[in-house]
This record gives sequence, C-alpha cells and structure tokens, in this order.
Amino acid sequence: MSLLRLEKATIRFGGLVAVNEVSFEIAPGELFGLIGPNGAGKTTCFNLITGMYRPTGGRILFKDRDISGLPVAQIVRLGISRTFQNIRLFGSLTALDNVVVAAHLHRRANLIDALLGDPRSQADTERLRGEAMRYLSALDLQDVASARASDLPYGKQRRLEIARALATQPDLLLLDEPAAGMNPAEKEDLAGVVRRLRSEFGKTILLIEHDMRFVMGLCERIVVLDHGEKISEGPPDHVRNDPKVIEAYLGEAV
Amino acid sequence: MALRVRIASILAGLAGCWLLDVLCRGMLRESEQRLVVLAGLYVTLAVSLNLINGIAGQFSIGHAAFYQIGAYTAGYLAFFYYGRLPLQGVPWLIAMLFLGMGTAALAGLVVGLPSLRLRGDYLAIVTLGFGEIIRIVVQAIDLTAPTGEQVGGALGMNVEPRIRIVGLVWLFALTCIAVTRNLCKSSHGLALLSIREDEIASAAMGVQVPKMKVAAFMIGSAFAGGAGVLLAHSESFISPSMFPMDLSFIVLTMVVLGGSGSITGAVIAALTLFYVPEYLRGLKAPDGTALTATGASLVGWIVAVVAAVVVVRWLAFRFRGTARQRAMGYLATAVGLLVVGRALGWILSSVPALQQAEYEVQKLRMVIFAGSLIVIMLVRPEGVLGRHEFSWDWLARVLRRQRAREAAG
Repeated sequence: MSLLRLEKATIRFGGLVAVNEVSFEIAPGELFGLIGPNGAGKTTCFNLITGMYRPTGGRILFKDRDISGLPVAQIVRLGISRTFQNIRLFGSLTALDNVVVAAHLHRRANLIDALLGDPRSQADTERLRGEAMRYLSALDLQDVASARASDLPYGKQRRLEIARALATQPDLLLLDEPAAGMNPAEKEDLAGVVRRLRSEFGKTILLIEHDMRFVMGLCERIVVLDHGEKISEGPPDHVRNDPKVIEAYLGEAV
Repeated sequence: MALRVRIASILAGLAGCWLLDVLCRGMLRESEQRLVVLAGLYVTLAVSLNLINGIAGQFSIGHAAFYQIGAYTAGYLAFFYYGRLPLQGVPWLIAMLFLGMGTAALAGLVVGLPSLRLRGDYLAIVTLGFGEIIRIVVQAIDLTAPTGEQVGGALGMNVEPRIRIVGLVWLFALTCIAVTRNLCKSSHGLALLSIREDEIASAAMGVQVPKMKVAAFMIGSAFAGGAGVLLAHSESFISPSMFPMDLSFIVLTMVVLGGSGSITGAVIAALTLFYVPEYLRGLKAPDGTALTATGASLVGWIVAVVAAVVVVRWLAFRFRGTARQRAMGYLATAVGLLVVGRALGWILSSVPALQQAEYEVQKLRMVIFAGSLIVIMLVRPEGVLGRHEFSWDWLARVLRRQRAREAAG
C-alpha cells in the first residue's frame, strides 16, 4: 500500500504547464527525494500535495483517499505537513509559540472555553506547550524556546520550521530544501536529524533538495523533474547514471 | 489554584467597579460622570478593535458601525417595547446589552466574510464602506410609531429610560479586557496571532483560518455593539452624527498608538486620547480668561519639538552606546526642548508680526492632539507599548530586581 500517490497530477497557470502528468508513489516509512533544476516544478508539486494549489488534472491520493482540492488546513489534519523553502515562521512569536500554533491542531478545549479563561482551556494550552517543548528538544532548540523566531540565526530557523511541521503530528512530512544555505557540517547535522525523524518519530519523508551529495546520501528513492515532467525515478544509483538526468541537470562533470 | 485565582480576580473586578461607581457618584458632577462613562466605552471600543486589528491582523476601519448597530438596537427596542415587557431598569439594560452584542456580532459575521478573500488595504476599504453604509441607512430610516410619532432618521431619537451607571460600563470594559486576555493566553489566541504573522503558513499548520478570522470579527464587533447599547442608555439620545467615520479612525489610532496587539497599550491609549482633548478643552489661564499664546511662542515650540523628534529618533534608532547613555540623552533632549522652545519664543518675539498674532490654545487643541500623534509615531513607530503587556508577573519581576539592586548597592 502506498501512503501518497500522485496520478498524472497536472497544474496549468494559463498557458504554462508547471507540473505535467507527474505520477509517483511513496510507501510508508520511505525517505523520498524530489530533485530537478530551478523551475522544474518541485515546490509546485508540494503546493499541489498540501492543497495550496488545486490540480487542474489528475488525482492525488493520501492513504487511498483523494485529497486533490481539499482546503489546506483539512489536508494537515489528515496527516501531511510541510516546511517552506523561503522560511515562513511566525516572526514576532517566540520559537515555542510557533510550535504551539502547530500543536493547536490537537487541542481539546474549544474557543468558548478559551474566551472564558476556563481552567480546562488553560490546562490544554499548558499541555500543548509541553508537547511543543518536546519537539523543540528533539531538534535541539530547547535553549531558544523563548527567543523571537525572527531573531534566531538562519540554521535554527530552518530547524524550527521542521519542529513546527512535526508538531502537527503528520504521517508524511514534506521538507522544501531543508539544507539550503547551510555549510557542509550543518548539512551533515541535518541529515542526521532527517534520519531521526524517521527512526524516532516514524515519519515518512519527502524532501526537495539541490545538493546532490545530500540527497544521494540520504534518500532511498528519488524522482527527477524537469520542465514540469518526471524524467527519471529510482534509487540514487539508478538516477545518478540515467543519461536523461545527466543531460538535464547534473551535467557532464558529475 | 487556577480556580481560586479566577474567582479572586472576578471578585476584585466587581469590587473595583462598585468602588468606582460609589466614588463617581459621591465626588463627581453629572457632566464629569458622563466623561468617565465615555472613557469606559472608548476603552471597550479600542480593546475590541485591537482584537480584530492588532491580534488577528485584519485591517478594519469600520468599528463605529458596530457601535452604532448596538446603540440603535437598544434605541429601537426601547422605543417599541420598553414598558410592555416585565423588564425594567437595570435588568432591561442587561437584556439589551446581550441583544445589542448579538446583532453587532451578526454584522461582524457579514463584514468578516469578505476578510476571507481580501487582505490589507482591500479589506480596509470594504470595512470603511460598510461603516458608511450603516450610518447612511440608519439616517435614511424614518419609522412612524403607532402613535404617529417619528422615530430615528437624521435627527436622531430619544432612548428611554436614561440609565447611566459608571460601574456597569466599566464592568463591561473589564469583561472585554478579560475575555481578550484569556484568548491571548490560550492556544486559540496564538492561532489568531499566527494569522496576523503569515496567513499561508498558519493554514499550513492546520489553523482554520476562515473560522478564526470570522470569530475575531464577531467577538470584536459584539463588544463594540455592547458599548453602543450602554452609550444609548447613558446619553438617552442617539443620532447618526454620533457615529461618524472619524470615530472609527480615532479608535484605530488608539489601537496603533498603544501598540498594535497590546491590550494594555489599547487601554492606555484610549484613556489618554480621550482625556487629553477634554483636558485641553478646559484649559484656562490662572485668572480664568482663555489661555492664549503668541505666534512667536507657538513657532518657537514647534521648531523645538521638531528638533527634539530628530534627536530622539537618532538616539532610539542610530545611537550606539549603553542604555544608560541613551537614557541620559533622552533626559538632555527633554531639558533642551524646554530651553530651546522658550529661547526661540523670546528671540522670535522681536518680530512684530509674530508677536502681535495671538491664538487661543483651546481652539488649537485638535492641532496639538494631531501633532502629538505624529510625534509619537515618529519616535516610537511600534506604538507606546509595542507588543508588551502588563502582567503581575512582570511587576513582581521588576520589583524583585529593584530590591536586589538596592541590596547590592
């Protein structure tokens, strides 16, 4: 059984076909990579899966349920969460509160309780804080919990994005260029974090990345997009040696 | 523990309002009590708009409309039903309070819906339009009562009975503050804040953005509507001219000036912006005549203030030094402002044209008012309190630090 299945997913913006009949399947527990040159449609693919765009053709199935066209918040509830390529934290909230917002999905108290300051709501918020703290610790961010998100250094902001996505308790985690702008040591660190997301938290992971060494070393299967179309799919060794991929992306030198 | 604190704060609130009521009755004239009532209503308006504007980040500039809807709900219901139902006096007012909140919340729902599609400036224009529509529609409705009497319309209407209870108005303001604060301390409040910060990321984290936006509009409008009910019965007269567009802007100014999103800021700004013009209105020279100023001294003060703003901005945003040096800088600027203002006035008084022109300070009060708004926005763009809140914990921390410093020194 597949966790996520794209069936000829397509989206057109006017005359431009950003993603053209792309199909692939991700099995539960997989570490899956999505690569391709700039403008290949990788992030657009994420936007389709998370409901930010409605596909103009094809279907997207999550746990065998058609989720194409569902509202974003609904899809998160079903168990897909994401990070953003251009970091989109809640800048003036603290790191902890950023994660609490995501954990809010699993609240028990309702809005009326919150307005009345009901002890149940207070206890609930405390519980969510505790949970959020756990996710911060998992990404080694416990020391900056009360710092404003926008004041954090870049690498920590990237990790905070992951902690926040984790707090919605997804089954499938989409990471959009998590290693962008990091130095080799930080990247090594991050690869460890991503592996732990699977081993410790049992997440299935789909990630977009530009750094070939990072992707090849981390992912078990990879899909390559170019001009909105899938040009190759398979384990790293297969993709690395695929002439179409070399032509479109990797270049002669690699 | 939590429950005990809650009961204690509720009791303290009730006692405080009762005390305020007794004091006002005992010490203030009727006209002064009216000002205390209006101040309480402004606080309610500012705090409730802060929920929509500052916390949820939905730019609304039609808050006067909800105030008006509440007031007219009370007005019409009182006209047609007062005396025919077994409710009278305060119970009637409380019943009206809930009804007014209900109708205003419904209006909030209607205005909240466009906020699902529109952002920023576009939403502001829609709320502005809505505010004007409400005012003009109310102005155009002329009802004729069975007795042949005209009700409403441009000339306004009497609202019977007149019930002006300072304590009740402030209890309502306090309730509004408490509800907003409860919300802010819960994860629901954080969800609202996240919408203000980044709507797309907020939805991606599972926040039901449409529902939360509409909820913010409805809650904020409900409190504005309640304030309208209290206004109608306190003034015993309402007319469309009491709810002009300016009112929406003044309330918005209170929110921004206090620091968008800060409840404490909204309260402080509401009280200040309400009382300063009132204070200036009553300003008199020591001998009881109108206070006047020469053109020379006015020009002197204006130049000095502008110079001070430049210096303060430099100190606040460019100055690299210790906090202590900066504080000394502010102090020096304040002294400098007084000296330079005086000196310039004296020097300029040698210019006959400036010396002969005399102005009544009272008549300039709105100019002074607007000028101070500009000054505050220049020296502190994030509002007086920024996003800070008053809390007992904060006060305790400050006192503890103070004591530690005394013990060390």
